[in-house]
Amino acid sequence: MSANSAPEGTTRLVVGPFNRVEGDLEVRLEAAQGRVEAAFVSSPLFRGFERLLEGRDPRDALVIAPRICGICSVSQSHAAALALAGVQGLAPTENGRVATNLLVATENVADHLSHFHVFFMPDFARALYADRPWFPRAEARFKAARGTAVRAALETRTTLLHILGLLAGRWPHTLAIQPGGVTRGADSRDKMRLAATLRAVRGALEERLFGAKLERVAELDSVAALERWRATGPEGDFRLFLEIAADLALDSLGRAYDRYLSYGAYPGTEAPLYARGIFTGEGLGDVDTSAIAEDHTNARMEGRTRPHHPFDGSTFPDAEDDTGYSWCKAPRLGGLPFETGAVARQIVDGHPLIRDMVRRAGGSVQARVVARLVETARTLIAMEGWVHALRPGERWCAQGSMPGHGRAAGLTEAARGALGHWLRVENGRIAGYQIIAPTTWNFSPRDAAGVPGPLELALVGAPIRPGESTPVAVQHIVRSFDPCMVCTVH
Amino acid sequence: MQGLETFYEVMRRQGITRRSFLKYCSLTAAALGLGPEFVPQIAHAMETKPRTPVLWLHGLECTCCSESFIRSAHPLAKDVVLSMISLDYDDTLMASAGHQAEAILHEVMETYKGNYILAVEGNPPLNEDGMFCIVGGKPFLDQLRFVAKDAKAIISWGSCASHGCVQAARPNPTRATPVHEVITDKPIIKVPGCPPIAEVMTGVITYMLTFDRIPELDRQGRPKMFYSQRIHDKCYRRPHFDAGQFVEAFDDEGARKGYCLYKVGCKGPTTYNACSTVRWNDGTSFPIQAGHGCIGCSEDGFWDRGSWYARLTDLHGVGFGIEANADKVGLTAAGVVGGAVAVHAAISALKRAQHKEDNGSNGSSRTGDAA
Repeated sequence: MSANSAPEGTTRLVVGPFNRVEGDLEVRLEAAQGRVEAAFVSSPLFRGFERLLEGRDPRDALVIAPRICGICSVSQSHAAALALAGVQGLAPTENGRVATNLLVATENVADHLSHFHVFFMPDFARALYADRPWFPRAEARFKAARGTAVRAALETRTTLLHILGLLAGRWPHTLAIQPGGVTRGADSRDKMRLAATLRAVRGALEERLFGAKLERVAELDSVAALERWRATGPEGDFRLFLEIAADLALDSLGRAYDRYLSYGAYPGTEAPLYARGIFTGEGLGDVDTSAIAEDHTNARMEGRTRPHHPFDGSTFPDAEDDTGYSWCKAPRLGGLPFETGAVARQIVDGHPLIRDMVRRAGGSVQARVVARLVETARTLIAMEGWVHALRPGERWCAQGSMPGHGRAAGLTEAARGALGHWLRVENGRIAGYQIIAPTTWNFSPRDAAGVPGPLELALVGAPIRPGESTPVAVQHIVRSFDPCMVCTVH
Repeated sequence: MQGLETFYEVMRRQGITRRSFLKYCSLTAAALGLGPEFVPQIAHAMETKPRTPVLWLHGLECTCCSESFIRSAHPLAKDVVLSMISLDYDDTLMASAGHQAEAILHEVMETYKGNYILAVEGNPPLNEDGMFCIVGGKPFLDQLRFVAKDAKAIISWGSCASHGCVQAARPNPTRATPVHEVITDKPIIKVPGCPPIAEVMTGVITYMLTFDRIPELDRQGRPKMFYSQRIHDKCYRRPHFDAGQFVEAFDDEGARKGYCLYKVGCKGPTTYNACSTVRWNDGTSFPIQAGHGCIGCSEDGFWDRGSWYARLTDLHGVGFGIEANADKVGLTAAGVVGGAVAVHAAISALKRAQHKEDNGSNGSSRTGDAA
């Protein structure tokens, strides 16, 4: 971290490394009069997964691609399985679909819980907020690694992850998800254990996080209802957050484009649990994946002359380049940056509370956090249904065969948003494999037109307190996206 | 930063009761395979020895090791270990940020010079002067060398730090390099696996902190207490292997009967780890129990040995039948119980055969290697 004067009388701050985010992140800020005027987001870690997948047996993507990330490995695994299924023209069995939903949902809920308790809330237990009326409670509950809520949440999460242990052998780096379903079926005894695990998780969240039934959280339908919860709702960490958010005006912090993308989460027999689509100022729209392209102008990557559709993408690092400031490419849909994540999923799905929040004040720090908590409640309720829907004895994995040539995209929703794998198979080997992860969208650098990525825009206007070298408002905004930097660049 | 407190003082400060502390000592003894007579010894050590700080650095990695670690089975063990090592510097979990974090790192290095343990998750990429992994504006390689300089010992968490792992797979775009190839003048304990099992991680670190010495290592630098058994030898599906009953495809008749996964690519016969005994996620299961073969993630080079899903029956084509092959491996193993080196010889021959097959060449001399 360093501070020095930039030419135009503005101050330049380099903030990083960030802790309590997954992976490495550096943000360069230009500030004047105590406000951020411009932000440049850099992902300083590159491994080259897309390159090392090339030339391999396509099925090996199931082992390699998930290792992009130890946090989102099930989502990566799901995207790889979907891409392979697409090339094979294979659909998973009904049991396979339901079990896969349970696996992906388990990881996503676990990530939401870690985000709230381990990554996001501890910032409010820092000494600089010691004069706020809610501080003693925030400190008792959320002081990093010591707060009572942090420990309890880690235990709840461990319990929840038994689902991945039971159905998929282990987590992280689960192997069970296959193009045709899963490698293990559930019997009646498993179903009872799964149901008991979910009951325990539900109990813990209803007691400590929400202080109320999950259904009451899922059914919140307006900003007015949320206000009532803050004023007179049940005691719990959710209400504590609402109190903090109101005091610090988190509903006016960190607004980006209010333009959202969701690939649709948890496939159903007809429609997914959370709808697929885009939501912009013009309302809902379809996702046209042919209009997705990555721009390399400010990435340290070769191929700057034009944007690349991921079927046509390349990943050749170009470390010498001076204009590039990130390893992250700039993905655009129809030439525009999009935000993705729980807030996008819930808006696209039409959740009334999240729609109302964004309609009134835009997609703020508060909206992102509330969307994640509402989604946690909704997803857990759906998981209980999926456990019920598992059919012991029926097929859990369909068989397919890999053609010599083909291409397909595997699109799913990770906790942090829209995740896509674009696979090309030639002569029975992987000829191209391009990945666009959720944080690639959210933490994208500027494109050829100089248009900043969602976080870069969200940081503009963030207040900087006198003497702050790592502005706390910047940290709130960055963490409100729940970034996963290792996925961002891969 | 606290002064030179004992482990016990640190634990009490963290709110751990005397009763829990003693329970923890018994659990530790059990986890390390020691008898009850060691419990007072462990307790005494913890009460009198100054705490050893652990600095945990992240290089090129995916955080799966941390994720595994924070979910150790016994909540008590996890709490104690976490409070014991305090994660003095772990940028995923700690409270402070940026400057403050760097200051803590330097302070620990200074106060405990020559006496702290460095735990490394991930590895340094060497291409482009380390540009592919920048921490605090500098290549991770520099940070690693700097912190390693005054460390007492280094723990290489996971396959990245121990061996390179998938990011070092061909063509290894960043030249990701395991820790021991960069730091050559310190004792290094390798705890491979992608990720390693949580209980193995806490076991290793507890042993080192409690007994103030490095656990006994095998020739590859792995703690013998966790890496001396083959997955295959302790696998509950082993009887089906011996009986020649195999799964041919996920969800076929054999899969439903829980047959051996060798023919769908299981690397259990060539992998040394504790998965089939300790298991995962609080002892719930492990990949083989979920119907998927072992991918051999704790073995050096597991990422470049041909497809994980390649059917080993393909070897039929070069005059090396699956049953004969399986028997040979089984017999060799049985004949040299405890003789890891000899088993490895047979196994690497098998791997070579597989690899050659993948490359389309004819590996006719491999049986000789195994002898």
